[in-house]
Amino acid sequence: MTNPVSTRTPGRRTGPLTGVRVADFCWMGVGAVATRLLADFGAEVIKIEDRTRVDMPRRLPIYKGQGKALSYGEELSNPDPNMGGLFNNYSRNKLGVTINMRTPEGRELADRLITKSNVVTENFAPGVMERWGLTFARLQQLNPSIIYARMSGYGHTGPHTEYRSYGPVVQAVSGLSHISGLPGREPSGWGLSYMDNLAAYYNSAALLMAILHREETGEGTEIDVSAVEAGISLLGPVILDVKVNKRSTRRDDYPTGNRLEHPHAAPHGVYPCAGTDRWAAIAVLDQSEWDLLVDVLGSPDWVNDPMFCDQESRFAHQDELDTHISAWTLTRTPHEVMDVLQARGVRAAAVQTAEDLSEHDPQIAFRGTFFELDHPVIGPALFEGMPMQMSRTAPDNWRSAPLVAEDNDYVFGELLGLSADERGELLDKGVI
Amino acid sequence: MSEQAIDHSHDHSGVSGRTPYEGLRIIEIATEPGGEDVGQMMVLMGADVVKVEPPGGASGRFIGPFVGDEPDPENSLNFWFYNRGKQSIVLDLTTETDRDRLHVLLEGADVVITSTSAVESAALDLRAESLSERHPHLIVASVTAFGLTGPWADYKASELISLGAGGPLMSCGYDDHSIPPILPGGNQSAHTAAAFGHIGILLALLDRRRTGLGQVVDVSVHEAAAVTCELANPYWFYPRVNVQRQTCRHAQPTPTSPALFQCADGRYVYFALVLADTKPWHSLVSWLGEYGLEADLGDPEFAEVSHRQARFPHIQGVVEVFFLLMDANTAYHEGQARQLPIGILNAPEDLFDDEHLAARQFFVPVDVDGVGPVPFPGAPFRFSAFAAADPGPAPHLDENSLSVLSTTVSAAAPTTGGQ
Repeated sequence: MTNPVSTRTPGRRTGPLTGVRVADFCWMGVGAVATRLLADFGAEVIKIEDRTRVDMPRRLPIYKGQGKALSYGEELSNPDPNMGGLFNNYSRNKLGVTINMRTPEGRELADRLITKSNVVTENFAPGVMERWGLTFARLQQLNPSIIYARMSGYGHTGPHTEYRSYGPVVQAVSGLSHISGLPGREPSGWGLSYMDNLAAYYNSAALLMAILHREETGEGTEIDVSAVEAGISLLGPVILDVKVNKRSTRRDDYPTGNRLEHPHAAPHGVYPCAGTDRWAAIAVLDQSEWDLLVDVLGSPDWVNDPMFCDQESRFAHQDELDTHISAWTLTRTPHEVMDVLQARGVRAAAVQTAEDLSEHDPQIAFRGTFFELDHPVIGPALFEGMPMQMSRTAPDNWRSAPLVAEDNDYVFGELLGLSADERGELLDKGVI
Repeated sequence: MSEQAIDHSHDHSGVSGRTPYEGLRIIEIATEPGGEDVGQMMVLMGADVVKVEPPGGASGRFIGPFVGDEPDPENSLNFWFYNRGKQSIVLDLTTETDRDRLHVLLEGADVVITSTSAVESAALDLRAESLSERHPHLIVASVTAFGLTGPWADYKASELISLGAGGPLMSCGYDDHSIPPILPGGNQSAHTAAAFGHIGILLALLDRRRTGLGQVVDVSVHEAAAVTCELANPYWFYPRVNVQRQTCRHAQPTPTSPALFQCADGRYVYFALVLADTKPWHSLVSWLGEYGLEADLGDPEFAEVSHRQARFPHIQGVVEVFFLLMDANTAYHEGQARQLPIGILNAPEDLFDDEHLAARQFFVPVDVDGVGPVPFPGAPFRFSAFAAADPGPAPHLDENSLSVLSTTVSAAAPTTGGQ
């Protein structure tokens, strides 16, 4: 299923978003993931970059075939912008152009592109688009039915509009970090920019709603999605508990780590397995599931201890219970624990690494969640696909991420009608 | 966005004033939060959602927390969170009579949301493909633990299981790896899958406008988690390394410095020291200087990135002391005023007092019988062309059977050959 590198020329797309053209000013995580969904389903997403300040994921040190793995924050001093794996992952199926928005000619070119587009997207710090004159009112002058999606940390109104944020800051401010951890310790929060993904998915949905609305009414709209507000929407029932029951989450027994308070489940935890830093998760929610677990364990004597006689007793004695469960898991691999328990109907999982997902997960493999595309510089690589299968609609995965300025000729030439001479002049002047 | 606020309460300039979900009829058989949250997002934007509950009520009604800690299926805050503004009817889908009633409802519906696994739905004669074949216009959105097909399709899951198998859990926890990975709070595997369920329905609605046909949208919670690991998968796809979890900051191939700082009031702020950029460095040093706590960081040699990087632990120590001497809110707002990306670790109860959220009218009061007004999170999407809906509280069990079943059955009678 690898596409040959030779078929990188933009052509007719397939999918429910065919005919939607996006002037995409997004960069970093949230925006790039949000517009990727549109590109996957047939929209012509034209990613606009600045040659002198390429998108950050192009620079992050996630490279193939590198001797030593570098962490985010250990960027090379002058990396090849076409090597970046994260950019490839985020910007597949998009077209790539360069415009220097700090020049009047660049801004004029952007205006022409917006006139030929139906959607404009951005996730800059507040004020950047305004500095370029790109307010909703101005975009409506260029194109009366335009959809203008603005993705930010705090939203575009309110006293903290200008606050700086990225995933971990959003997770902190929205409460998601505080509700995650062991009681009596600092929060463990999230080990990833969860909100870069979730705010992106919410932005994708908002864009699709706006596109549906325009199809039904002919009317465009401005969209304002605040990642912090999306994060609060994701807190779950605890946001009602603190208000209705006036319960503080700054209490000694909160958060509950891997233990489940509602309902009282036990065992419910992450248990050590054979191997270094390998773990399995087990969740027993009621008596019938406990009976199944006991059966798999071979009905050892300790299960007859009165402190394990019913669900409430087990919940009250989780420390003792977990010692027994850990002794059983410790001699097995995470996947052995998962398979033997799931075969009997007990909820269990190998706590999988990224390597496990790619190499050892038969479900991911069967469903084709990850797929491969070729790239002229990187070569064949895996991509995170759609976590769903639709019976009539499939993603149109036609190309890996664009090289810097790869589609300047197509977009500025074929779409906007600039001659080769005109394009050459703009290139010489540093406009494109 | 200029001066015009996009908010929940004011007039919108749209010509139609209607949301794209107005007039959409959704039947929700789902009882798992991954399905229920899809219906919830669509209610918030104006859809009409009928929740089909089994006799006795949906399982979510029996999950706490409860109002006043008194278990009561009408007072589950878990149920309230996922079922605002829905209508409730009871059908016993194990009986043919009620399955017939369901099909009458589906004939007049646009979308059905289910969370029933392949095995369970086959037993009930409600397989997604069968529903789609019988009602070709219908969008059948299924959100299940592992999806409807594949070797793990019959495996059982829960929040902990899904984030564990799906990958995000392995990135979350503490620097000390004798502590297992720690589950992030708030049903996030369900919420992640629901986000895709919502997207899938929107794509299917767009497709149906062109073709007149609905389709099956088969969302897997497992896969939704697996594509929501941020850097972990690219680090495997490219340099082929597994990232290692670290306390409340990005899991990475190699250890990085702590980003959580405790403040004088015991609360925390998140701040990742990035020494390579000059502007934030100077902002930080001048801020420290205002309190006389910059130590030697104002010395000229610290202008050099390499000098700063070589003294990272020293700088980290100075910053630790600095934050320990101020409360977290001061650190947050003063830092942000200096354009430093600092986040306070709010507790959920803090959010109701946040001036920014208040100005945006994010929380909306919902009048709940016997309890009074309860602030719920508002819609997480804002549009200038139309406003979010203002749904009421979660329904009482079977609250709407009479109205829903009588109107639907009579309206649908001609197309189903009469009842």
